[in-house]
Amino acid sequence: MKIAILWGIALLPLTTYAQDQNSNITLSGVVIDAQTKAPLAGATIHLKNTTHDGLTNDKGEFNFLTGQRLPVTFQVSYIGYKQAEITVNQRTGIVLALTAANTQLNDVVVVGYGTQQRKSLISSISKVNAGDIKDIPQAGVDAQLQGKAAGVQINSNTGTPGDGVFIRVRGATSINASNDPLYVVDGVFINNTSLQTVSTGGRATSPIADINPADIESIEVLKDASATAIYGSRGANGVVIITTKRGKYGMKPTVSFNTSHGWAWAPQLWDLTTGPEHATLVNEFYRNSLADATAAGDQAGITRYAREPFRPVADGGRGLPEEQQTYDRLRKLFRTGMLHNYNLALQGGTATNKYYIGAGFSRQEADIRHINFDRASLKINLDQKIGDKVQVGTSNSIYRTKRNQARAGDGPQGGLLQSALHTPTYLPEVNADGTPARWAGFDNLDVLINNYDVNTTSLRYVGNIYAEAEIIPNLKFRTSWSLDYNHYDESEYWNNLTQLGANPTNGLATSALTQNTTWINEQTLSYRTTVATDHTFGVLIGNTLQGNKQTTTAAQGTGFPSNAFKLISAAATRTSSQTSTKANLASFFGRVDYNYANKYFVEFSIRADGSSRFGSNHQFGYFPAIGGGWRLKEENFLKQSDLISDLKLRASYGITGNQNGITNFASKGLWSGGTGYPDNTAGSDQPGTYPQQLANPDLRWEKTSQVNVGADLGLFNDRIGIEVNLYQKNTTDALLQLPVNAISGFNNYYANAGEIRNRGYEVAINTYNIRNKHFTWQTSFNISGNDNKIISLPVPVTYYNRDWVRLQQGYSMYSFWLYKQLYVDPQTGAAVFEDVNKDGQITVADRQILGSAIPKFFGGINNNFTYRGFDLGLAFSFQYGNDVYNLNRFFGEGGGTRDANRVLFASQLNRWQKPGDITDVPRLTAYGNNYTLEQNSRFLEDGSFLKLSALTFGYTLPKDLIKRAGFQTVRLYFIGSNLLILKKYSGPDPEANVTAAQNVQGLDLGTPPQPRTVQFGINVTL
Amino acid sequence: MRTRTYIFSLLAGASLLSCNKFLDVAPEDAVSDENSPVIIDKASAETAVRGLYRAVSADGYYGTTFQAIGYLSGDNIQWTGSQSIIQQFISHNVRADNASIANAWSAIYVAINRANHIIAKVPNVTDPLLTGALKNQFTGEGYFVRALAYFDLARTWGGVQITLTPTVTAGDKYNIRRSTLAQTYAQVLSDLVAADSLLPATTNRYRATRKTVWALRARYHLYQEQWAAAEDYAGRVIADSANYKLVQPYSAFFANGAVATSESVFELPYSTTYPNTHRNSWQPPANNGTRQWAPNDAFIALVNDPAVGGNRSALVARTSAGLWYGNLYYRPNPATDPSYVIRIAEEYLIRAEARAHLGNLSGALSDLNAVRSRAGLAPSEATTADDILLAIENERRLEFAFEPHRWFDLLRTKRAATVLGLTNSDRYVMPIPAAEILNDASLEQNHGY
Repeated sequence: MKIAILWGIALLPLTTYAQDQNSNITLSGVVIDAQTKAPLAGATIHLKNTTHDGLTNDKGEFNFLTGQRLPVTFQVSYIGYKQAEITVNQRTGIVLALTAANTQLNDVVVVGYGTQQRKSLISSISKVNAGDIKDIPQAGVDAQLQGKAAGVQINSNTGTPGDGVFIRVRGATSINASNDPLYVVDGVFINNTSLQTVSTGGRATSPIADINPADIESIEVLKDASATAIYGSRGANGVVIITTKRGKYGMKPTVSFNTSHGWAWAPQLWDLTTGPEHATLVNEFYRNSLADATAAGDQAGITRYAREPFRPVADGGRGLPEEQQTYDRLRKLFRTGMLHNYNLALQGGTATNKYYIGAGFSRQEADIRHINFDRASLKINLDQKIGDKVQVGTSNSIYRTKRNQARAGDGPQGGLLQSALHTPTYLPEVNADGTPARWAGFDNLDVLINNYDVNTTSLRYVGNIYAEAEIIPNLKFRTSWSLDYNHYDESEYWNNLTQLGANPTNGLATSALTQNTTWINEQTLSYRTTVATDHTFGVLIGNTLQGNKQTTTAAQGTGFPSNAFKLISAAATRTSSQTSTKANLASFFGRVDYNYANKYFVEFSIRADGSSRFGSNHQFGYFPAIGGGWRLKEENFLKQSDLISDLKLRASYGITGNQNGITNFASKGLWSGGTGYPDNTAGSDQPGTYPQQLANPDLRWEKTSQVNVGADLGLFNDRIGIEVNLYQKNTTDALLQLPVNAISGFNNYYANAGEIRNRGYEVAINTYNIRNKHFTWQTSFNISGNDNKIISLPVPVTYYNRDWVRLQQGYSMYSFWLYKQLYVDPQTGAAVFEDVNKDGQITVADRQILGSAIPKFFGGINNNFTYRGFDLGLAFSFQYGNDVYNLNRFFGEGGGTRDANRVLFASQLNRWQKPGDITDVPRLTAYGNNYTLEQNSRFLEDGSFLKLSALTFGYTLPKDLIKRAGFQTVRLYFIGSNLLILKKYSGPDPEANVTAAQNVQGLDLGTPPQPRTVQFGINVTL
Repeated sequence: MRTRTYIFSLLAGASLLSCNKFLDVAPEDAVSDENSPVIIDKASAETAVRGLYRAVSADGYYGTTFQAIGYLSGDNIQWTGSQSIIQQFISHNVRADNASIANAWSAIYVAINRANHIIAKVPNVTDPLLTGALKNQFTGEGYFVRALAYFDLARTWGGVQITLTPTVTAGDKYNIRRSTLAQTYAQVLSDLVAADSLLPATTNRYRATRKTVWALRARYHLYQEQWAAAEDYAGRVIADSANYKLVQPYSAFFANGAVATSESVFELPYSTTYPNTHRNSWQPPANNGTRQWAPNDAFIALVNDPAVGGNRSALVARTSAGLWYGNLYYRPNPATDPSYVIRIAEEYLIRAEARAHLGNLSGALSDLNAVRSRAGLAPSEATTADDILLAIENERRLEFAFEPHRWFDLLRTKRAATVLGLTNSDRYVMPIPAAEILNDASLEQNHGY
């Protein structure tokens, strides 16, 4: 830190030369749009060769007092317009006209601890304007980004609104540390790990869904090392910088109001057998099994399969197949959910302050009963100038999200979708005596629908205060304090009608309160100057202290007097628990950049992070990065080119780290309590302790080095903008819960083991196809491919029940570990599996990695049209080459082995029946491998898709019409999502995934599909 | 400017100075053994011993999984659920990637590691409050649990890797080859002998005493076909009739919420805080369970036959829809069914079997009939040694229907081929978990897996 001050003092003399002038003059004028001649309020005006900056007022006017002499050169910039350099030779009545920018090249891009113009950017950053995504009916801004940013793969794994989203920036780099990007909202590193503790069948809520997308101004995704290394240990998985709306100095108060309403429903459901079909199949299964049992001389089998279960009731059976009824449970569960959205904002400013106040409410009902998501938000951003040199401000967001939850995922007890989908269709919903029937371990669907009572309320504050001072010209000091506080209140109540709360439990209630607090204190000192016209330097140094604490207090009660009592205080049996964990991070960082004549750019940054999670010898990690750029357009040979309006080559290399996702005390050998035991038969539990975790004092940072080369090309006056990036990321010392041999008494320990490589390409193309006075057509297209490979891993690690997923050296992550069904023998109907080791039998040794949930490429195509007041947007997203393991079908094509315990899918009807049948669905039998070898490749399906993720159609009313009513703009719009999907996958949603576990992706079981939605809305500003 | 610099340096300096302290964060819900050993005084020794018993009662060990391996592999149970890993036991076709196998294997070694900590550390504690007698007791309990654990490993998997030291680092337990079955059993005996010498001859059904050691030793000698010793040790426990007796009727040791009856020599208790999930697999959905497995038709017929099952028919019950289910583990709320590790009935039947082999047929019959009479059955009509042995075998099938005996009994008496039709002797041991084979180059898989 002291070094920083020395730096500042050393640079002092260099910057004072501009001030020793005399005989001041006043310059005044107006900044306008070159085409519309409308004044531009809040445009930045800089007098070249001075340190003077000014802003236009709400009439676009400016006033300058300067010591410069005429002629003077203005550098004028305004968001969405090309920066202009205009030399004038008059003092008053100056008119500075700006032309609207065609492409994003002149955009201001938010980078770590600062902003840059895109044309001088040498790192790889995708910027998404909030206007492009804010109407997409997803609860979280992360889900809205699908198909919008090159290199960012996003999948919504479920139709439950506000649930976690799978997001990977340039592939997955880690196994047990987090793979999610760092989210920075107005400088606050916000928590994006779910605080959920109650079970919803494996899925978890998303903390990102707390944020109201309507408050967002822009989103930048930082991808390469030169962009992310300034975030050091937080940067390995990319950084998503979210900038919320602020007022503008000199802007008159503007009120905007937006509301939309619509419907959401599932576009496709599952195709199930009818009752008679189910019965026929099960009888066939019994017949075949009996034949096989007899052939094998298996006495127990002969007894078990002696009689078909669907035989006349009089004969002790369940009735003949044709007597069976069909009960459609899916129709009962699925519904058309309602979507409502309201946002109100006030924005403006005076010469010395600016403000943004936004309030919003949105309600999203899922396509299944009774999952709802409500969010209310309040946002207050204020900035105040104190004199010329000092600015203070604050950002404040208060969010309240309330969720009606349900177990829409794995697990029978209380599993909502499983109860509807996995209960055989022939089974009635009520018993003969009229009581609700429960089958196969699943709860009764009506009972669940009517009695579900699982709620979560998340109350969250994200905010900061900052002060910024220009100590000497161009040397800025900034300090800020930030807080992300989340109070997460969960309650579950299973009354005595539900299976979980039924007699003998007599009501089961859980209450869990989790509090997560992150505070951050940060100082930066930055200096920027241009020397001798062409040499521009920038220096930034800073430090951050960050603390995080998370506590959970939970209580559970069973044995309630009646369903009228819902609080644990009324329960006969009560248990409670408490956990608390804490981590600190201390960081120091710096960045130096230099450019010569906006032609050659070089940048170096470094961050040192110290983490309390590691042993004292490994606490600090150092994360440097270097990048360079060459803007060929500035060279003489291109300067005059009409074809090429911009060309820049970029390269960067750097190292980022990762420590997220591991537990706070992962390096320590721990003994825990919680193993109480009585000392004798007369006594109750006395405290006990046990060795809980193996120490690893060598545990250290996971490191990812990344090299990126890229090019930015503008053609035809920037009507076509192309950005290409190639990258390779090598992760070493991967943080891993490494299995340890069980004879040690432990299952695993945290270690740095393994290497993962990601390499890929990203291409983004933006074109203005047509740009007339009345008609515009703009297209943006992006495509990315990422090749992920585990370069080294000491032992393979498997995940999920039945070890569906396996990480293994030489293969990609999210790979499926299966027995490969080659074909079904047309003569015998037996499934033939690949005998990998040729030992004549199918054993574990024959399981192999077949397919992965990682796509070969993915991206988006967005087209926007405007014609007079009309606008039309078509946003497609696509993904190709990823596999999905269809676990619903795995159960639904169980061949009758589960008899009355599971549904049979209609696809089961394609089973082999007689010699000569060509099918991949084997003969129904309990014997052999046909249905007992569970990890069958038959259920692995192609998950590629192309979908129309959003269609927007809007009409903005003519200005003169509404002006009389006092409106500035009025826009009516329609938005539809998921209106169209092309896929091969047999289930409804190829993006489905049953769990929030980070190494499992592409397992479709019991989650509701993403809905198709239509909404109508109106947007008014006054 | 000067003031600003001053304030700024102060802030920066303060943050640097306090950095080390800032990054030193201690856990609040666990203690770290980084700088100091954890077992250091009386309190820490006794809490560690309680943690040891909680390992024995864990889900993977005597809570559910290990017990299930013992009874599912017999001939009393059918599978009715969705997880076919259960069916693998019933059809004796267990695969090396069976999750129950992996759970039980690691749960048993967890208990061994906790025992090793106690055996290694408790004797060295210098706390005046931790008297020599207490030290002996705690260490003896460590030896007893370790003996039980290796015994269970040996009868399930054959000879296994033997580890006798606490695990300190992740690399500690590599390069250990499997011991032979004889060596593994030798370790069991050595631990039993050590426990015998250290433990007091008190009565405690929840924790090991010298009498618990005798009871397990009787079983050990039975498995070794050391009949005289088996008779001797079983007899020592039976002799303590003031403390151990066959409770009347059969169901008295578990029904109506009974715990720690005179029937139990070693029983593991559960509580609201530490519930036993075992009931979930047995009880039908109507009772809030999954009935993942259930007594099969053959067993239902036997246990309900008044001449065979007697009052042991209390082991099963029927739902209103007519589904039979096992009812030994039934306590709903809280789920506090004990795990019955050693019951006095077993000691009677051990002694009966030993006596039959030793030619003491009347003694054998008398022990057998003690168990039969408690079940409300007439005395056995068996006369020859072979008949008596068969009668004992059948008696054990009913008496311990839902406890982990039947499978191991048929293996040790070499009757699995006859009774279960299981002729492939590779299947007489379970496969070593596939993940362990992968993870440990010195660990060899059992033949045929």
